[in-house]
Amino acid sequence: MITAMMILLVVLAGSAGDVVITKGMKEVGEISTVRPGELWALAKQVFSNKCFLGGLALMTISFFAWIAALSVADLSLVLPATSLSFVITTIGAKLILKERISRMRWAGTVLVCAGIALISLS
Amino acid sequence: MKTAAVLFLAIAFQALGNVFLSLGMKAVTASGSTGIAHLVLVGLQAAGSPAIWLGTIFSITFFLLYSAALSWADLSFVLPATSFGYVLNIACGHYFLHETVHPARWAGSLVIVFGVLLVSRTGQRTTPAHEAVFEAAGGLR
Repeated sequence: MITAMMILLVVLAGSAGDVVITKGMKEVGEISTVRPGELWALAKQVFSNKCFLGGLALMTISFFAWIAALSVADLSLVLPATSLSFVITTIGAKLILKERISRMRWAGTVLVCAGIALISLS
Repeated sequence: MKTAAVLFLAIAFQALGNVFLSLGMKAVTASGSTGIAHLVLVGLQAAGSPAIWLGTIFSITFFLLYSAALSWADLSFVLPATSFGYVLNIACGHYFLHETVHPARWAGSLVIVFGVLLVSRTGQRTTPAHEAVFEAAGGLR
């Protein structure tokens, strides 16, 4: 029971976090410099962006749920949950971020899920 | 090219981070009890483990590079692309830690590689850039 709850938390908080962080990073704009001064200015911008910070909080919840799940269950049980989050996050990217998911991108995403499921079978 | 370089670096840090987190957590959870008290105990032990700290620092580095990529590329592009990390983890386990890798894992890795190849052939950005929203509103594609 605690394992199922942890896995659900890993997937939902992780997917929501990914979507919200992407929203924040797109608001900040493309990072196209490697100069330390400019990177520092960008970092300050990123870490004061509400979407980014909200996403960071969700990812933190997901991360602790992940290591907690790993401490009570086998990786081969927890890993398929990660594969599920690929599909959920992609749906979130389409609905919330308005990304266009072509058939080829869907096919690739589904193959990735299948591959991860195959890995966790062994 | 920039996307590929940043994502590859991110994946490498993620794989290293997972190796150290895995090592650390395996050492921590030797006791057999479960429940909230057990979780608290695991948390306290984990906070004192150098392997967990190192794994966490590598994971943070991964996260910063991943976020940087998300500032210019689609989430639905970056996320499947980083799944190549699974393949890297398995390969590292095989070549450096001499783990026996079940044939189904190699098959799964191959399927992931095909998936990543398909995704990488789609354009990395399908949404207009923030600054270009106004000018693109009329004329984008």
